This record gives sequence, structure tokens and C-alpha cells, in this order.
Amino acid sequence: MMRARRLAVFIGLLVASFSEAVAAETLVVEAALDRRVVAPLLDAFERSHPDIELRFHDRSTLEVDTLVERADPAPDVVISSAMPWQMARVNQDYARPLRSREARAWPDWAKWRDEVFGFTFEPIVMAYRLDLPRHMMPPSTHADLHTLLTTRQDMLRGKVTTYSPARSGVGYTLFQQDARYTPRFWDLVAAMGNVDARLEENTRAMLQGITEGRYWLGYNLLGSYAMVWAQHHPEVIVQVPQDYSLVMMRMVFIHRDAPHPRRAGEFVDFLLSREGQRVLAGQTPLFSVRPDVSGPYTAQRLRDQVGDQLYPIPINASLLAFVDPQRRAAFMARWRREFQRRR
Amino acid sequence: MRLLVVEDDPLIARSLDNALAPLGNIVEVFTHCAEASAALCQGGFDLVLLDLGLPDGNGLTLLEALRERGDMTPVLILTARDGVEDRVRGLDLGADDYLAKPFSLAELEARVRALLRRSQQRSDNLLRLGPLCFDSASGRVTLDEAVLELPRRELLLLEGLLSQAGDIAPREMLESRLFGFGEVGSNALEVYVSRLRKRLQGSGLCIRTFRGLGYRLEEART
Amino acid sequence: MIEVDGSLKRRLAIWLLVTVTGLGTLLMIEAYLGAQRAAQRAYDSQLEAAVLTIVESVQWREGEPVLEIPAAALQILSTRHEERVFYAVLDADGKRISANLALEIDPADQRHAAREPFWRDLTWRGEDWRLYGREYDSAGWETQDPVQIWVGHTMAGRRALAGELFERAVTRFLAMVLLAGLLMLLAMRVALTPMRRLRQLLRRRDADDMGPLDARVPEELRELAETLDTLFAHQRDSRDALLRFTADASHQLKTPLAGLQNASELALAHDDPAAWRAALVDVNEGAARTSRLASQLLSLARLRHVGGDGDMTRLDLAAMLREVTLDWAGRDAARDHDLGLAELPVGPAVILGSPWALRELLGNLIDNALSYTPAGSEITLGIELDAGTATLYIEDDGPGVPAELLECLHHPFERGGRQDTQGSGLGLAVVDSIAKRHGADWHVSNLDPRGLRVALHFTLSSREEP
Repeated sequence: MMRARRLAVFIGLLVASFSEAVAAETLVVEAALDRRVVAPLLDAFERSHPDIELRFHDRSTLEVDTLVERADPAPDVVISSAMPWQMARVNQDYARPLRSREARAWPDWAKWRDEVFGFTFEPIVMAYRLDLPRHMMPPSTHADLHTLLTTRQDMLRGKVTTYSPARSGVGYTLFQQDARYTPRFWDLVAAMGNVDARLEENTRAMLQGITEGRYWLGYNLLGSYAMVWAQHHPEVIVQVPQDYSLVMMRMVFIHRDAPHPRRAGEFVDFLLSREGQRVLAGQTPLFSVRPDVSGPYTAQRLRDQVGDQLYPIPINASLLAFVDPQRRAAFMARWRREFQRRR
Repeated sequence: MRLLVVEDDPLIARSLDNALAPLGNIVEVFTHCAEASAALCQGGFDLVLLDLGLPDGNGLTLLEALRERGDMTPVLILTARDGVEDRVRGLDLGADDYLAKPFSLAELEARVRALLRRSQQRSDNLLRLGPLCFDSASGRVTLDEAVLELPRRELLLLEGLLSQAGDIAPREMLESRLFGFGEVGSNALEVYVSRLRKRLQGSGLCIRTFRGLGYRLEEART
Repeated sequence: MIEVDGSLKRRLAIWLLVTVTGLGTLLMIEAYLGAQRAAQRAYDSQLEAAVLTIVESVQWREGEPVLEIPAAALQILSTRHEERVFYAVLDADGKRISANLALEIDPADQRHAAREPFWRDLTWRGEDWRLYGREYDSAGWETQDPVQIWVGHTMAGRRALAGELFERAVTRFLAMVLLAGLLMLLAMRVALTPMRRLRQLLRRRDADDMGPLDARVPEELRELAETLDTLFAHQRDSRDALLRFTADASHQLKTPLAGLQNASELALAHDDPAAWRAALVDVNEGAARTSRLASQLLSLARLRHVGGDGDMTRLDLAAMLREVTLDWAGRDAARDHDLGLAELPVGPAVILGSPWALRELLGNLIDNALSYTPAGSEITLGIELDAGTATLYIEDDGPGVPAELLECLHHPFERGGRQDTQGSGLGLAVVDSIAKRHGADWHVSNLDPRGLRVALHFTLSSREEP
């Protein structure tokens, strides 16, 4: 009896793993994450799991969020930097909990319900073109920026860029978070409006503009991209704000209806694992969350460099407020009002 | 007569032998149940005198086995135990009489005689006492070989007395024998007894009265 | 016969166990429900706090309620157990102003919440949720419609807290039980010490030490100790009586034995057969007396020292009297006496009695009469029935007993001042014992002009009695 049952379970496992092995050739990852940036990590995964073929789709955050709900079959793993949307999906029960050793050991502030994990640690930075310091003292804090924008309006008109809160989820999140920290944020928005700041959809576009000389100053760029960019473009200087610097995390979860949940678990485990994080810290600018890995890009090293003014956007229920339609509408209304306020 | 004595005390056994042998009996003494039992199986004894406490068992067991075999040899139990329970059990099991130690030899002889007489009567239908003989089959009575003609009630009385063979014949038994169960005067029986007494005068036999108890036909003491 | 029926310790332990189990079950149920309630209260207050926070941020703009959902409210809802959260703000028509999940709220619940704050447990998409709805009047410039705010979260935190509280209660209870058990063991040891002391005291006693106990015992053991003392006193008395009796008996047996010895010595010293014969007669008589004495001693000892009323039964005294008298009348010993029965009453005289003891009694009375009256005496036994009483009597026309000795006739070895008979002096002592055992009074009186009457009064047994 016992033996028969054991045998049945064994055969079941065998069949399951076999069928999965055949089908798991392709693990679908829908991600709002630049493939070029993350390539070393994906390569490392494919090397350590040769039986799994990754199909990594690099999309915008909006597309990713829509696919969570609409895709058929559902993607196995979802990665996005639009933290509130990821959070909302998890709260809606779209995620499958991961009960692994790595998941349990992951720091509490970087995960929620063991369902979604923040696996990168990307500072939000300012960037300016070398032209700027020739004319004025470059900003190192938000207050500096505000002063600069109000005092040197004429010179900076059209030369400032930042995220569009309407078209970019990341940008919206960052501004919401900024607004939570200080009401003077709206003065900054107004000041940016006064200099006709150009609103871009992503960091790459902002960096491109700075390199081309269209922009002198960029606000709220993803540090991960900017730092890599600056290495190859010496005219671009990256400044981590000295008063406070937001930190964004890419959030990953396994889809509830993932066709290959076990493989998906292995993938997420790899992202959280020491090995995955080491690749992250050494070969990508995404910064490792784990304190036990070393490399040029680790949270610890960042803290050592910029001090304690790093403010990670917390992965908790408060993020859900940002996706509330009314709150978003109210925020956008205020944004537009402030942006168009003329002095 | 052939008597079987089962008695483990040598002194008592010897005195039993001494007392009973002169009366014309053959006495065989055994000290153990097993031997006695074997001897009894051979048969041919007229009376068994049985002690209860024997070295290899209880005499009652022997008695029980004897009666179970259908052997109706009369048994007189002799014992130092005075417990009523033993006495009742012994009689229940088919013992004919019971004598508690210590006893006088005279008493023993009387009981043995009575038992032997009763067993004798059972065998030849003749009731005897001294010179008196009653043939219960024909109803003929002889005294010193001479036929004694008796009226019916005196005959019934004599038969009743003789049937007890030296023991007291209870008054109630005699009354019912003579008069049926009807009510009789208290001295009615006494009338027939005194008539019979007269007839037996000079025969060496007498009828002794036991007040309130009954009568006993006995050989007159000289 | 002492049978070991478990141990006190075990019995106490079982009682303790039963009590603790019963009480413990109740306590555990109470603790479980209490933990549930406490967890419910703790987390319900979070829901209330969240609603308060949310209602604070409801505003009216152009006749429409506007809500900027506060992040803190969601944080409160989620709790540190990271519950899934739900919120919905409904206008007066039940239309959703804002909500984060497609969780539908029963209209009945909405009506309920319109009247008073309302709690609702439900299962949604395979998870247990607890919802809280409350209606608030809001004041705007144009409208004063109420808004209804519903919040909810999953219940992992409640379960965890309830489990934790319950676990703590269980641990506390188990610790208490353990402690109580240990204390109980200790208490039992202490409490049973007097018993141990008593046991040791009894064990150390000499076998023939019949003195009272000298022990300090607690109240509960006093009765036992007193009973033991009484028992010892009884045993002491009975042992003394036995010793006295044995001494008397030995003395009594020595006398006829001495006579036997003397007679046989005399005979051996003579050559004359006539003297031998005379000596043998003496020896014979002496032996008979000795054996009667022995058998009476035996029955007396049996009567006095073999207790119990186990063989008491209903019997007809008249029938027994007839049977025993008939037996004795036929005996050789009665040959020279006129032993008879008076006219017996019509119908049985039923009493409660021990058959063997009554036979013994009758035998002793008859034997006594035969021994203490000259040959040819008339001895008559009879029964007189009176209201509820059967009087058994025996009369003789012998010499009687001197009046001053009548009172002590029932003492052992008392012969009514006579040394000339075969009597041992035990007969009436036996009678006395048996009469006492049957609760019967008995009297000895001299008859006029001569003779002795012994009468015993038995209580008749009614038919109802066993």
C-alpha cells in the first residue's frame, strides 16, 4: 500500500519533471529591464541551467503590466521597475509565493509576502553636461537644483530634462515619492515648468539628449544606466544627490498561472542567489542588494560612497496608493497646475 | 457375621475386635481407605464400621463410592468429629448410623446388633427379637416357636416395634400405623401396648415406655 | 484478608489527572477562543484606524467626492504580516468612488454599514478576508451625501497572533500543571508521613504487645488509630480469657487423669483379682469422664472462639427437641433414667438458630440432668409457647442445687457444689454460651418439693424475617 503510493508519487514526479523538462525548454520572462544591461546575468543563468532556454522580452513597464493580466499563456516571470504596479498585481493575487531558502533569507524591506522581490538597488541621480559647471555651480542637492532653476532661468530654459510622469511609470513613482518627502517638491516642479523642462519617457533618452548637447541638466535619472553611460561619455557627469537619494528596485515575481512554476522558481532563486547577485554587482550597474557579495556595484559600496542618504522606495502596501486612479488623477492635475504656473 | 472395620487407631481397632468377635462375628480391620475399598469390592460383608479421619483420605469418600456401586451393606460411622455437618453428610450419603467417639462398648454393641438385625430382616423377611419371630410375609408370629395369635392392631403394634429392632419406635409412627391419620385419644395407644405387654409377660421381652417419645421392645434385663 | 486495591498516590494522581484533563480542556477551549478574540480585537482596531485615516482624506470637489488614498492607511491595513489589502469608497448610491480590488460588497452589508459600523468575514478567491464598513457624513459646499468606506485584509496576522497567544496559554498551563504535579507529589509525601509513622510503629511492635498505641496522628487517622486500640483491647481480653480457660481446662483434665493414674498404680500393686477389677471399674469411669470433659471443652472452645452467625437459620425447635430427646433416650446413658418429653404444643415453634449449637445445647442439658440426678429420676423436656416466646425447659426430680449456688452455675467448672458425679462442670457454661449467641435468657430454679428446672426463652421468628 505504502510502497504503491510511493511508487505512484515517484512516477508522478518523473512524468511531471519529464514533461516540464521538455516544455521548460522555454521560460518566458516579461521584463521592463534593458536587455543589454542585464545580459551578463541572463548568460550566467543559462550557463548554470543549460536545460532552460530563456525567452526574455524587454518591454515598457506599461506593456509588462498589461501582459500580467492579458497574456495567454501567462508569462512565467514578471520583472518591472514600475514598483506600484507590480505591487498592485501582487495584491490582486497574480503572484505565486516562492518558498525557497533564498527567498526566506532575502531582507524583509526588499520583499513582500514572499511573493515579490526587489532584486536590484538602483540609485536615482542627477546628471549634467560638462557645459554646466562652466557657467554655474552644478547642483548637489534638491535645494541647489531649485535655486539654480529659479536663479538661472534664462540660461537653463529648454536645457533641463526629466521623466514625464504621465508617460513613464517609473517617473510617476519617483515624483510621487519625492512629493511624499517634502512639499517643496512642488516648487521644484514649478521651477522646472518655468524653464520649460523637457519630459522624456526614459533615462536613455535623457542621457542621449545630454550627450548631444540638447540638455545641460537631467533630474531623476536611473543611476544604473547613467553611471554606465558616463563611463563611455566623459561629457556626462553623474551626481548622486547629497540631501537624499531615492533608490528604486526592480521587482520580480512568478506569475500565478506560470506554465513552468518550478523553472520560474529556479530563475528567481538565481536572481536572489549569491551567484546571481555577484554577476549583478560585477557585470551590470544594477547594484546588488545582498550585503555578502562584492563588486563595483553593490548597495554597500554605494552607501560607502554617498553616505546614508539613500532612501529605497519601500516594498510595502503603501506603494498601492500610487496606483489609485483618483490619487493619480489628483497628482497629475497638481503636476500640470504647478508645471504651468508662471511667475 | 462378617464385619469390616476401617480404623487407623490400633487401640480402638483392637478393642472393637475384642468386643465384637465374641458375639460370633468375623472382624477384619483395615487402617487405610485404599485397602478397605479393595476389600469391599470383593463383597460379602454384613456391616462396615467406618472411621472418617483416615491417613489416606476421608471415610466419606469411601462411603460415597460404596453407595454409588449400589452396595447397600449397612455402614456405621465412628468418628471423633462431633460436627453436625459431617454427621448430616454421612447420613445423606447413605450411612445407616452414626456414633461419636468417645463411646462405650456397650452402646456400640447395641447399635451393631440393631444394624445387623435390620439387615437380616431385609434379607429373610423375618423380624426377630429374642424368642419372638414375625414373618412379615404371612403375618405369623411365633414366640418360643409357638404360634402367637394376635388381634390385628396388636399385630400391627408388634410389627411396628419389631421393625425398629431394639430402637425406640416413635409414638407418632405407631399411632399412624394403628389408627391411620384420624384423631385418637392420647391413651388409645397405651391400651394396646399394655395388652401386648401382658401377652409377652414371662417371655424375656418387655415394652419400655419413653414418655412423650414412644416405646421400645427390648429384652428384659436380668 | 487484605487485598491491595491500588495505591493512594495513584488514586490521587488519577483524580488529579482527571481534574486537570477536564479543567484543562475547558481552559484550553477558553484560551483558544480568548486568543481568537484578542487577535480579532487587535487587528480589527487596525481596520478601524485605516478607515479613520481614509475618511480624513475624502474631499468634495465640484459636487463629487474625491479621495487621495493615503499610503499610511494601506500600510496600516497591511500590518506587519503583509496582508493583502482591500479598500473601497462608495458614494451614497453605492457607486465606487475608488477601490483597489474587484471584491464585491453585498448590498445587504452596505445597508447594514449605513446604520452602524459593520464587520464581515468572507472568502474571496480562496482566501479568508475580514472586511469593515463604515459610513461617514461628509460636508462639502454643494452636497452633504454620506460616503461609505470599506476596508479589509486577509487574516494571516490574526491566525498567527491567535496561534501565538494560544501557544503561550498552553505553555503557561502546562508549566502550571507540571508545577502543581510536583507540589502535589511533595504534599502527598508530607501528608502521608503520619501514616508511614503509624506503619513503622505497628511494624516495630512485639507480636504479643497488646497495649494501646502511643502515636500522634492527624484527625483523619484518629479513627483508624482508635479502632486499632479497640482491636488491641479486644484481642487482649480474648487472649486473657483464652489463657484463663486453658489453665482451667488443664487443671480440670489433670484431676481425672490423676485419678486414672492412682487407680492403675493401686491395681498394679495388688495381686488380688478382685482389687484389679475394682481398679478397672474406676479406670473405666475416669476415662469416660475425661473424654466427656474433653468433648465439652472442645465445644466450649468452639463456641467461644469460633465466631460468626453464618449458620443461623430458621428451624422448628419442637422438632429438634423431639429428635434430640429420642436420640438420647435410646442411648445407654439414659438406661437408668426416665427421660421423657412433655406434651408438645401443636404446630411448630420456629426460631432463628444454629442447628449444631442447639443440638449441643440440648445434649448438654440432657447430659447434665442424667449426670446430676440419681438413677431412676424422672427427666422431662418440653416447650411452652407464649406471646412471641418459646420457652424450652428441662425438669428433673433430683436433689436440685443449693440456692446460693444457683447464680454461678453458668461459670465453667462449677458443679453446683457436687463432687460425686461424672459431670465436668462445663455443661451449663456451654449452655450459657449458646443461649447468649441466640439472645436467649435462661434461668435455673429449684422445684418444689424437689428437683431442678432449667428454662430458656427463645424469641419466635416471625415469617417475614429471613
